[in-house]
Amino acid sequence: MMENDSPMVKITNIHKVFFPDMHVLCGIDLEVKKGETVAILGASGSGKSTLLRCINFLEEPTAGKVVVDGITIEAGEKDKLRNGRIRDIRKRTGMCFQAFNLFPHMTVLENIIEGPVTVLHQKKEAATAYAEQLLQWIGLSEKRDEHPSRLSGGQQQRVAIARSLAMKPKVMLFDEPTSALDPELVGEVVEVMERLAKEGMTIIAVTHELHFARDVADRILIMDNGNWVEQGPPEKIFNNPEQERTRQFLAHIL
Amino acid sequence: MKADTNFSEGCGIPAEARKTLTQIETDRAAYKRKLIISFIILAIAMIMVLIALKLDFKFMKNQLPFIFAGIGYTLLVSFMAISLACFLAIVGALGRLSKNPVFNSIASSYVSLIRGTPLLVQVYMWYLALPQIGKALEGYGFTGIQAFFTLPALTAGILALGVCYGAYMTETVRAGIQSIDPGQTEAANALGMTRSQTMKRIIFPQALRVIIPPVSNEFIAMVKDSSLVSLMGVWELSYRAIKMGRRHFQSLEMLITVALIYWMMCIMLQYFQEKLETHMARGDRSIR
Ligand SMILES: Nc1ncnc2c1ncn2[C@@H]1O[C@H](COP(=O)(O)OP(=O)(O)OP(=O)(O)O)[C@@H](O)[C@H]1O
Ligand SMILES: [Mg+2]
Repeated sequence: MMENDSPMVKITNIHKVFFPDMHVLCGIDLEVKKGETVAILGASGSGKSTLLRCINFLEEPTAGKVVVDGITIEAGEKDKLRNGRIRDIRKRTGMCFQAFNLFPHMTVLENIIEGPVTVLHQKKEAATAYAEQLLQWIGLSEKRDEHPSRLSGGQQQRVAIARSLAMKPKVMLFDEPTSALDPELVGEVVEVMERLAKEGMTIIAVTHELHFARDVADRILIMDNGNWVEQGPPEKIFNNPEQERTRQFLAHIL
Repeated sequence: MKADTNFSEGCGIPAEARKTLTQIETDRAAYKRKLIISFIILAIAMIMVLIALKLDFKFMKNQLPFIFAGIGYTLLVSFMAISLACFLAIVGALGRLSKNPVFNSIASSYVSLIRGTPLLVQVYMWYLALPQIGKALEGYGFTGIQAFFTLPALTAGILALGVCYGAYMTETVRAGIQSIDPGQTEAANALGMTRSQTMKRIIFPQALRVIIPPVSNEFIAMVKDSSLVSLMGVWELSYRAIKMGRRHFQSLEMLITVALIYWMMCIMLQYFQEKLETHMARGDRSIR
């Protein structure tokens, strides 16, 4: 039974209030099973990025509980070991940003081995060997020694994905990974994400990329004003939405 | 698409465009030529002024070794003070950006106090006023501390310059750190880096590139301000020049000589700055 699997990510009753009174997340719950791919959709400003950033504590939730791969952190605890636990969650969680955020002073290879070497204290040779496998996997072996500014946006985002994967994460978070890209470059990034999903990675992606949401995601969640509006398998959300708000939103992006 | 805009076939530059290109090239060459000529004329004019002033070039030449013997002190003071300033600037910048109220307030007060008082006053503080503080402390039972607070001129000079420029450079380094896109910190954090790892591996290397021009500026200013230690009787370049100028009533010759020596040193520093800047820029100037 599925209920027996403990979820890879479980967040409970997350609230986020930006100082002084900007209530962005209003008690969000989310459970993501191991190997599941979920896509979060919603209007601009609805709180999707904030939710994603609360999972790896780039944003500190104002209230609620986050569990990633069995590591539990509650909002507002005062605990000496908490920062270490946050880093433990981050080591298990890869994140890709809309703006890629590659390290411009490092080559592609250096970007990819930075986490394993600095954070996981791997030997440089071992990290390099794995990085080269990843580069091959994203199809950018020949860019190994280039600096990121010499790459196209799509190539940069693929390198950013490889940089996250080098940490051997249990979950990947994507925050609109293709929305800064020219249309003709979106496909190559989605293709990499799709292969990742097929290989069994647990993925939480904020994206409006239709192919990914419809054909790759196992489940879609629609967010509005810091609340879930509706969730379900893509066929149901796209063909047969229950909520009026979902219909309005889909009419916007379709 | 029209045939002449089809780039994939190599469209062939039309004659008018070629003419414009040649014109641009000749204009550029002419500008370069005129620039060099202007510099040469300026140099000649300067030399003519020096000749018209009836300078005693022989005297200058004879005194040059004596003045030049002071370069060791000048370089020593500059080097030590720059090292101290760099250290203080990094600690100070971290303090100014720190969320620790004690560390932050100390760093902010340091910058405010030092930037708000004349360097000349600070030099005398270290040299003349510090022993008095030592004496007062002895009154409170710290026996033997006055000797410790009575600094040799060279040490006082290095401390004064280092602490003063450290305050200015604190602000430069802070601005450099803050100029780095917050996305860089987020990406580093998302990988699980600690704050100090993020600083050391991600932020500092990028900030360094930003602050090289202003910091070089400060280095150059400091090399010249090292002449202030002459006030305390350290036999560095300017002290020797002023002394000789007074003794022989030929201050003009001596001051011009020493000014040229400083200028040469600063030109060398500027050369290193340019080398460093091109090295750091190695094909990865951010194009975002
Ligand atoms: N640091 C912050 N301080 C104050 N308000 C913030 C902050 N970050 C986000 N917000 C606000 O929180 C709301 C939700 O932001 P969020 O970035 O999560 O939205 P989003 O759903 O990701 O939107 P988009 O599709 O535009 O990325 C927005 O109204 C935004 O202005
Ligand atoms: Mg967003």
